[in-house]
Amino acid sequence: MYLPSAVTKQEEIDAAIQHVEKSLGSDVVRIRYEIAQDWSGEWAIFFRVVLTDDAARHRLRDIATKVRWGLADELDFPGMGVLAYHNFRSVSEQAALQEPAWA
Amino acid sequence: MGLADELLEDAHFLADKGIADRRPSQMRRSISTAYYAVFHLFVGDFVQHWEFPDQRARLGRMFSHGLMRTGFAPRDKKNPTPLEKELIDVIASFEQLQSYRHRADYDTGWNLVETDVRDSITLADNVFDKWRKIRGEDIARHHLLSMFGAKWE
Repeated sequence: MYLPSAVTKQEEIDAAIQHVEKSLGSDVVRIRYEIAQDWSGEWAIFFRVVLTDDAARHRLRDIATKVRWGLADELDFPGMGVLAYHNFRSVSEQAALQEPAWA
Repeated sequence: MGLADELLEDAHFLADKGIADRRPSQMRRSISTAYYAVFHLFVGDFVQHWEFPDQRARLGRMFSHGLMRTGFAPRDKKNPTPLEKELIDVIASFEQLQSYRHRADYDTGWNLVETDVRDSITLADNVFDKWRKIRGEDIARHHLLSMFGAKWE
């Protein structure tokens, strides 16, 4: 079974995430990810980004853009054989849903 | 106002209403509508250059969602030009919207939240803004052709 090279680059991905988290300050609470196939069967990396309530409500466009570009600057997604998707959620939304994948 | 702009307005309306009423079905429709607004923005731009107006709808129906998700590599991967960055951003926003739309339409187990809806609307707004700035440029016109299914030479 074909697996994208991204599955072997978890250290690199973790480092990129840490860097982006740090560069964006307190607006980004944490970033989680998984590598899986998307709706069309393409391999993808799915980032789950928890933001502060204030950032999610008042600065979503700005922060989401910075997260997307920040990760793309650090990681060569085409070279890793994956597409990249980013989903965002506020602390309050995650608190209500309690989804382990976002914790 | 064209179909794409009307759909974008509808997406905004459904988003505001769905969030205010806490109604997931409307939130899902807003996400799906935001995607289709962008889809028809591209299709509309492509078919308007076809000489025969009565054939444009048929031509538009040849667009396939999967094929429209075509990659683009800047000349210098490490240092894309401002124009290339705009196109990359349009492409990434479109791909993200496709993923959102697929979940909104088919994944009944998805616990979507207000932030998903707001992000989708923001992405669609972003595509409209950026695409209308760059659509006359060579790389944008070539990209549109790629979305239709033509290979880069």
